[in-house]
Amino acid sequence: MFSTKLRNVEEELGGDFGEFAGWSMPMSYGSYLEEHLAVRNWAAFFDLSHMGRLMIRGKRAEFDYLVAKRTEDANAGKMVGPTAFLTERGTFVDDVMVYVVDGSSWLVVTNAVNREKVINWIRRNSGLEVEDLTFDYAMIAVQGRKVWDFMEKVELQPLNFVLGKEYMGIKTFLLSRSGWTGEDGVEVWAKPEEIEHLLRFLKERGVRPAGLIARDSLRQEMGFVLYGEDIDENTTPIEARYWVFSMEKEFLGREALKEQLRSGVNKLRIGIKLKKGERTIPRRDSKIMLEGQQVGVITSSTYSPYLNRPIGMGYMNTSHFLLGYSVDVEVRGKRLEAKLSDFPLV
Amino acid sequence: MERKSKYLVLKDRLYTDSDEWVKIDGDIAVVGITDYAQKKLRDIIGVDLPKPDTRVKRGDPVAVVESVKAAADIYAPMDGIISEANERLLDSPELINKDPYGEGWIFKVKLTEKPEGLLEAEKYMEKIGE
Repeated sequence: MFSTKLRNVEEELGGDFGEFAGWSMPMSYGSYLEEHLAVRNWAAFFDLSHMGRLMIRGKRAEFDYLVAKRTEDANAGKMVGPTAFLTERGTFVDDVMVYVVDGSSWLVVTNAVNREKVINWIRRNSGLEVEDLTFDYAMIAVQGRKVWDFMEKVELQPLNFVLGKEYMGIKTFLLSRSGWTGEDGVEVWAKPEEIEHLLRFLKERGVRPAGLIARDSLRQEMGFVLYGEDIDENTTPIEARYWVFSMEKEFLGREALKEQLRSGVNKLRIGIKLKKGERTIPRRDSKIMLEGQQVGVITSSTYSPYLNRPIGMGYMNTSHFLLGYSVDVEVRGKRLEAKLSDFPLV
Repeated sequence: MERKSKYLVLKDRLYTDSDEWVKIDGDIAVVGITDYAQKKLRDIIGVDLPKPDTRVKRGDPVAVVESVKAAADIYAPMDGIISEANERLLDSPELINKDPYGEGWIFKVKLTEKPEGLLEAEKYMEKIGE
């Protein structure tokens, strides 16, 4: 198993470690519920050093063909994404964030679970050169509704980044205005010892350390997918209603998506909200039931401390994509009322 | 506890392999989950409680403690009859996190025979690697 290089400082801060995608990472610092609310009300930081980070170099047209969104006309310093690498069947190899460094080099952030698969896939499908930076830099996100009360304001528009900048007393490799929580903030890549210094400073300033459980509940409130749970090599972006592609350009998997747009789909991703005060959490593979028959399935779920209820997402048969209607979710023999909802859930 | 441990284990009670604690007072056994168990489950969101007067056998799943991580079965540590369930947990399941050996107790069993196979505190500490 891999381990974050920030482990020492995170243990000092009370981190409770667990395994995620082959990495030992802080899952929480005592209470994910409080960490979640810290992001929605103030600010918190997350260690994202498990995420795959690749430098890709080569011909622009060749790279652009691999990516489902247009990258060719994006200027240096822009992030393109979330977008995806797709199979010929139009299903997800991975959903990724692309950072345009210049006309012949790009950074790509992959899901931790897909890092090696993506490296091999790029090499197999192109002549592009891939360098794995994952183990060279630690990565954190600082996110929150009041993030600029705690952080030095960055002169970056959302989804823009800058390389090699000094920020809050540390030398960064990459600084971006981005995140995956629905709140404003920054993501920072830097040498582990630099980030360690920054984390101690942030803790003193009152930025709450947060673990991957809070990150998961925050992304579910926003309706953001997690690879391996909500999308995989058997799901297409159309079924996931995850608009990570542009039909205006050529890309690997485009023909399959075009065919699916023509023929239609059998399932579509949907959100669910249970009743306030409900304390049983649906689980992955819980059945969504209507009139005694299964009409859908849960793929992710959690308890939202912001909405005080369990929430989640899953796939509905398109014949029963009844946004706003209440259905039952079957959990351990119990039938729980759940409202079919669109994203974001907050 | 003399040394600083990650998990609290109290000397005045007995333990199960499945991380319940038992405090026996006459013919009533109070049952909850250990500090180790609550920390592994993390924030507890809900509980399913047993109904009083239910007859239970050692090893029966009788309650469920629900967290984002898992819905964990809580087993009867001995044969007996459920005499009471901690209904405060229905609205405040976080009591199990805050005070696993006190206000976070889960149910009480009226013993029908002498409990067997429970672990002393030292044995339980060995089991969880403390």
